[in-house]
Amino acid sequence: MSVTHLPNAHYSDLIASDNNHLIGGDIDWLNSLRKKASEEFTGVGFPSPREEEWRYTNISPIEKSQFALSKQAGSVNSAFLSSVLIEGCHHLVFVDGFYQAELSSIDGLPEGVVVSPISNSLNDYESLVKSLLDSVVETPALGFINFNTALFTDGAVISIEENTTVEQPIQVAFVSSKEGALSISNCRNVILAKASSKATVIETYNSVDDSCYLTNVITEVVVEPNANLTHNRLQAESLKAYHIGGVYSRLEKNAIFNQNNYTFGAVISRAEIHAELGEASDCCLDGLYIAEGHQLIDNHTRLNHLHPHSISNETYKGIMNDRSRGVFQGRIIVAQDAQKTDAKMNNRNLLLSDHAEADTKPQLEIYADDVKCAHGVTVGQLDDAAIFYLRTRGADEQMAKNMLTFAFANEMVERISFNPLRIKVLEQLVKRFPQPGMKLEWL
Amino acid sequence: MLKIENLHVSVEGKEILNGINLEIGAGEVHAIMGPNGSGKSTLSYILAGREGYDITEGRVLFNGKDLLDMSVEERAWAGVFLAFQYPVEVPGVSNIYFLKAALNGIRKHEGLSELDAMDFITRVKGKMKDLDMDEKFLYRAVNEGFSGGEKKRNEILQMSVLEPSLCLLDETDSGLDIDALQIVAEGVNRLRDPNRSFVLITHYQRLLDYIKPDYVHVLAHGKVVKSGGPELALELEKHGYAWVEEKLAS
Repeated sequence: MSVTHLPNAHYSDLIASDNNHLIGGDIDWLNSLRKKASEEFTGVGFPSPREEEWRYTNISPIEKSQFALSKQAGSVNSAFLSSVLIEGCHHLVFVDGFYQAELSSIDGLPEGVVVSPISNSLNDYESLVKSLLDSVVETPALGFINFNTALFTDGAVISIEENTTVEQPIQVAFVSSKEGALSISNCRNVILAKASSKATVIETYNSVDDSCYLTNVITEVVVEPNANLTHNRLQAESLKAYHIGGVYSRLEKNAIFNQNNYTFGAVISRAEIHAELGEASDCCLDGLYIAEGHQLIDNHTRLNHLHPHSISNETYKGIMNDRSRGVFQGRIIVAQDAQKTDAKMNNRNLLLSDHAEADTKPQLEIYADDVKCAHGVTVGQLDDAAIFYLRTRGADEQMAKNMLTFAFANEMVERISFNPLRIKVLEQLVKRFPQPGMKLEWL
Repeated sequence: MLKIENLHVSVEGKEILNGINLEIGAGEVHAIMGPNGSGKSTLSYILAGREGYDITEGRVLFNGKDLLDMSVEERAWAGVFLAFQYPVEVPGVSNIYFLKAALNGIRKHEGLSELDAMDFITRVKGKMKDLDMDEKFLYRAVNEGFSGGEKKRNEILQMSVLEPSLCLLDETDSGLDIDALQIVAEGVNRLRDPNRSFVLITHYQRLLDYIKPDYVHVLAHGKVVKSGGPELALELEKHGYAWVEEKLAS
């Protein structure tokens, strides 16, 4: 092993302790999966900044924080919940990592469609869960994945029946309560879009107050032939929280997968968005991240074109204010067999302060010879000529800057076709630009 | 309305305006003509408040107030409007949002309430029709991908909506074909009002065929070297700027 990093004793102890609050303790295959992950974690621990993949994101504050495991759900009042839930969706609600049936509402799903917490599914849909769990994440797994596999408390199981369209998006809402402070919630989601199905899933992450905790979540996605899945992620956690998340997907022949990743919250946020592209599949990754204060938002994306004729289109835009940092790594791998791949990647960063930083790293690894790959990266500031122009028309300086900043971000927001989600993302955006003159109803 | 007194301006030690004196009364139309490099555009930028110039001497009074002490937006609120020679593209900000923000910003400073959406739309659409502009421009990003002529028309549209008291038009005729020039000139003429003044900065006389000035000034080497009535523009057209230089030399 080239990386020498001492496994963290506190977190290894958590894994070794008597975790009888976990689900599926009587299921052998799950126990052995958890055991293997525990052993791997105990040997390696969390990643260190000496690893290339983590060089911009030092997670030692997480190690030092010595979070406890969340063992039960705290309370969430209905006013807060209604601010989080998106209208026109099915809702699955998890508080501090535990499913809350009384806060959730799933009705009128088409026949054969499963939308359920894992905690309920291990009886009814055990083989479905077994077939998906740990089937898409890469090995050797990251420390955080092993930690999650060893300790996940719950999560969503979503399976869309063949030839079926689920009209209403499915919102999986993760909420951290006041009582969840100083603890870790580990949730695990598995999503299967069967052949020729169509659905939209929205994962949201919110906190009741500004407490400090860790969300360590993984979503595994399988999109079968000719299926069309849109997966959104809206991360608006407390600015004192830590968020480590991953979406690992596998696209089969002619599958369409759109992953949209909106990041506003957490003091350190890291998301791994990975996709394996099958033949003639089509993957679109959109990202918008806005950081302020001392926030660090890190998105690592990886598009693995394994078979011919697949298309990927990636656009990530970031805005960094104050002393915040944005990290983007966009890796595109085109395997030798993946001829006629068409991959486009674009990362644009706007720095609003002299102390803000953007670290952006496009990485192309191309082993096929008949492919189209394009990438572009920019890091810039607001255009002085445009600011002057707006001011000559009566916008004060702050408003002119807000308008231009907002416009930069709004390009990503306008692409959201499901209006209630678009409004939720806009609300987060406007929250970041609370200057007089910024009005939602003008948009 | 506007009084420029002995204005000296330099950039990085190089003097560009060299003692300008000019007085513009309410309701008057003044044309400022001059060869390239005479300082015409600098004058318009100074009046609008662009950064990067050293004002070494002189002052500018706008309705009795020191214009040079005001920020860019304060000048806009007070009624100064510059139609740019090269209007700036503002990606992502739609024309309608931009116009509304600008208009309501100015109304707020005039102590007026914000226009509601319907009143605003009606007002803008009427002005667009006058300027022969398609309504689709409202929903496009400000100036982004507009042709030269479309950008100039968009400037005049903003001017019509904002109704400033001092309109500075910097080379508004450049890049316009004859039809567009006529439409733009009609747009300007519609705005003529006893309480509104215009400064037309132009290289060529042809704009003045459509917008009749009350006074014409010739700028050379950062100074007003000759002032007169509309006939001065015709003389310039006939003899060229070299004629001014010769007269100055003799």
